Amino acid sequence: MEWAAESLQKVAASRRARLGQPAPQPDSVQSAALLKKYHPDYLGREREVEVGANAGEQKFPLELAQLLEGDSPIDADYVPHPEIETDVLIIGGGGAGAAAALTLDGSGLSVHLATKLRLGDSNTVMAEGGIQSALGDDDSPRRHFADAMVGGHGDNDPDLLRILCEQGPESIRWLSQLGCLFDQNEDGRFRLRGGGGTSVPRVLACRDYTGLEIMRVLKDAVRLSAAQILEEHVAMELVDDGKGQTTGAVLFDRNAGRMVCVSARAVILATGGSGQIRLQGFPTSNHVGATGDGLVLAYRQGCRLVHLDSYQYHPSGVCYPQALVGQLVTEAIRSMGAQVVNAAGAHFIDAMVYRDVLTAAVIKETAQGRGVKTPHGKVGVWLDTPMVDLKNGAGTLSRRFPGLTHRFGRYDIDPARQPILIYPTLHYQNGGVRVDSECRTDVVGLWACGEVTGGLHGKNRLMGNSLLDITVFGRRSAQSVLRNIPKRGAVTLNRLRQFRSQQKKIKSATVSPIFFPAASGMKLNPAPVQEQRASETAADVADTDTDTDADDREPPNPFNF
Amino acid sequence: MTTKTTVEIKISGEAIQAQRGETILHALWAAGMAERVKAGCDGGVCGACTVTLRYSDGRAAGTELACMKSVEDGMEVFPCAVEEDAAVAPVVNPQLPALQAAFPTLDRCTKCGSCTAACPMSIPVMDSVLRMQAGELAAVAEDFTTCIHCGLCRFVCEDKVKPHNMGLWVRRSLGMSRNFVAAKTQDAAEQEWQYLLADDRELRLQRARHFRQSGGIAP
Ligand SMILES: Cc1cc2nc3c(=O)[nH]c(=O)nc-3n(C[C@H](O)[C@H](O)[C@H](O)COP(=O)(O)OP(=O)(O)OC[C@H]3O[C@@H](n4cnc5c(N)ncnc54)[C@H](O)[C@@H]3O)c2cc1C
Ligand code: SF4
Ligand code: SF4
Ligand code: FES
Repeated sequence: MEWAAESLQKVAASRRARLGQPAPQPDSVQSAALLKKYHPDYLGREREVEVGANAGEQKFPLELAQLLEGDSPIDADYVPHPEIETDVLIIGGGGAGAAAALTLDGSGLSVHLATKLRLGDSNTVMAEGGIQSALGDDDSPRRHFADAMVGGHGDNDPDLLRILCEQGPESIRWLSQLGCLFDQNEDGRFRLRGGGGTSVPRVLACRDYTGLEIMRVLKDAVRLSAAQILEEHVAMELVDDGKGQTTGAVLFDRNAGRMVCVSARAVILATGGSGQIRLQGFPTSNHVGATGDGLVLAYRQGCRLVHLDSYQYHPSGVCYPQALVGQLVTEAIRSMGAQVVNAAGAHFIDAMVYRDVLTAAVIKETAQGRGVKTPHGKVGVWLDTPMVDLKNGAGTLSRRFPGLTHRFGRYDIDPARQPILIYPTLHYQNGGVRVDSECRTDVVGLWACGEVTGGLHGKNRLMGNSLLDITVFGRRSAQSVLRNIPKRGAVTLNRLRQFRSQQKKIKSATVSPIFFPAASGMKLNPAPVQEQRASETAADVADTDTDTDADDREPPNPFNF
Repeated sequence: MTTKTTVEIKISGEAIQAQRGETILHALWAAGMAERVKAGCDGGVCGACTVTLRYSDGRAAGTELACMKSVEDGMEVFPCAVEEDAAVAPVVNPQLPALQAAFPTLDRCTKCGSCTAACPMSIPVMDSVLRMQAGELAAVAEDFTTCIHCGLCRFVCEDKVKPHNMGLWVRRSLGMSRNFVAAKTQDAAEQEWQYLLADDRELRLQRARHFRQSGGIAP
């Protein structure tokens, strides 16, 4: 990193002095000013939509508004004929969908879980920092509530938030009994850490792989359950009974290259977030499937969406190396002492202010020329990771953050010795589909849980409340389905037809959802192309004898290291 | 920087140009070849994007994650998707015999070391298999903390040992055996909820601010 040598020197030189020194803490007036001027949510890059349940009612980011007004990829003359009949169709194979599936297991209802990628390929598996639960001695679900309410700027739905906080300890018990190994102290009690906006230590973690731990366990448990798993099945559209009740979905089976219609008595939407829409061209920390499909699908069924004018831009996304751009550097690093400093080595803001404020401050710093420019033309500021060991003893960083150490180690950067260049990354969809306290949407037959929903977190989610969200509300949606499941209804595309008749008037050329990140060029490929590719891939993995230019194409013998 | 900004890599024998510094996965995307290699997280934690690689400079061929490895001139990439094995139910208070019963191939390990070499997370897989054989299950659980379940260790094992499945089984089994210490119940709870759940938004926010600082209701 010679290109940054000068700045790195300044950072190293000021480190000792900064160690015990408090950093500037913006007061509420200064914070508000920072947000207004620099936070991407406040730049006016949003508008109202002209069709659907929220028409003329609230604003959405421009990119999302366009998708909400888009047309379905389904042909106008397609008639849905169910090939699969199930009681409950869960859409989305992340943590929320898996928690719902496990809760339904053994209930006597048949369950299908359809997911776009493979089971567990999700935002959940990527979560690093941890999960909140009021388990500390000085803590209570009320204190948890108060922290989240202040963090969400008072916009949180109080009933949903109360449920989240009250169910915290029980959720940790549930996850533990499934086999999640959260970090413990010597005395066998859970290790609790602070996070941005927590007034007492409340975050449980499994090193910096908390989501991996939870997803690994949930995935294994779902595989052992009676649920039918439909991997690489993309939900393209929801279907209804012609009278407004959701009764299943049209899926696209990516391997067979064809559509499959499912009739269900209840549908649970757990499709997660939308970071891959890349609002304002921001990089994202989200997985490949996070393209906001669930928002579009639910909207066409007549569901209201809330708080979608608010996204979370995580202050510490990777800015260098280029291969890791947008990936997350967990906030837990900051709670362990890593400061955020500019090119000159100055500690310009307290690293533990709320995420949105820190994000605005970082953008301001770079906009005003106090950032560091990478050879790829990106500009960021430093996250001074060596301070973690300075504060907590040598070896702490690599022990507590093996993921960070491993990821950067691949690029010959040792975060214990050298700071990391960061820039905000599009991280979390604060808003989403409106639900009641039983996860019911505005439409009968359709439930929603997890990141696809809105209301719970208000306009700024605190670290660790989302993994708790998917556990609590994933289970709760299933419990509500058990109590309220309707009778099986007809399967039509009536809602879509109605939406289309409105949508025609605005002459939008957009087709949505987009299903995959634009940069990937991936599409829902119909059969012929797909079959050809599938056989090609099979040949690559197993046996290349059938290939024409076998010599060139033979994979290296993996046993021959 | 005077170095060339593009490199040439081969995907199953087909040459494509790629930007220096980008990952194999993004190079495939840019070349319109996204369907060749599966992608899940694009962040090195889901294990979808497994590939095998051959280098032009004589380094040993190896396995990698396409989303984490950046392109190099002359690199040859071969997609290598690994199927999931059937899950095996964990047990409470696991001991070596239970592990052996759940995974009969445990004792077939010939200590060849391929699994360790194949692991993109630098887990000492073979050593951990030996620890399994010795019944040191707590250490095994620790070894597999960072396992992304990509299956490459299983894929390269000629003896059908399933290190990652065993690792997960051990972790889940030990996890299920832990005692859960529940939080104590608190007396003032209902009163505190009433205070916090004020109908007026501003009052609610103000009370929340106070509560988080003092941990209780305003005097
Ligand atoms: C890098 C990163 C770090 C994070 N760290 C933390 C943390 O430390 N603590 C915390 O609490 N939260 C954290 N979060 C947030 C948290 O992980 C997520 O908000 C949460 O896991 C979302 O769970 P979910 O089940 O709702 O969605 P996901 O886990 O994203 O699952 C949604 C699933 O639906 C699938 N899907 C999408 N569209 C379709 C479709 N059309 N058809 C079928 N399937 C579809 C997706 O592919 C995916 O499998 C982090 C998020 C990221 C990205
Ligand atoms: S690859 Fe298989 S046989 Fe070789 S060391 Fe690993 S587990 Fe043992
Ligand atoms: S232990 Fe096996 S499954 Fe786990 S990361 Fe390593 S190679 Fe992949
Ligand atoms: S895409 Fe998930 S590990 Fe590469």
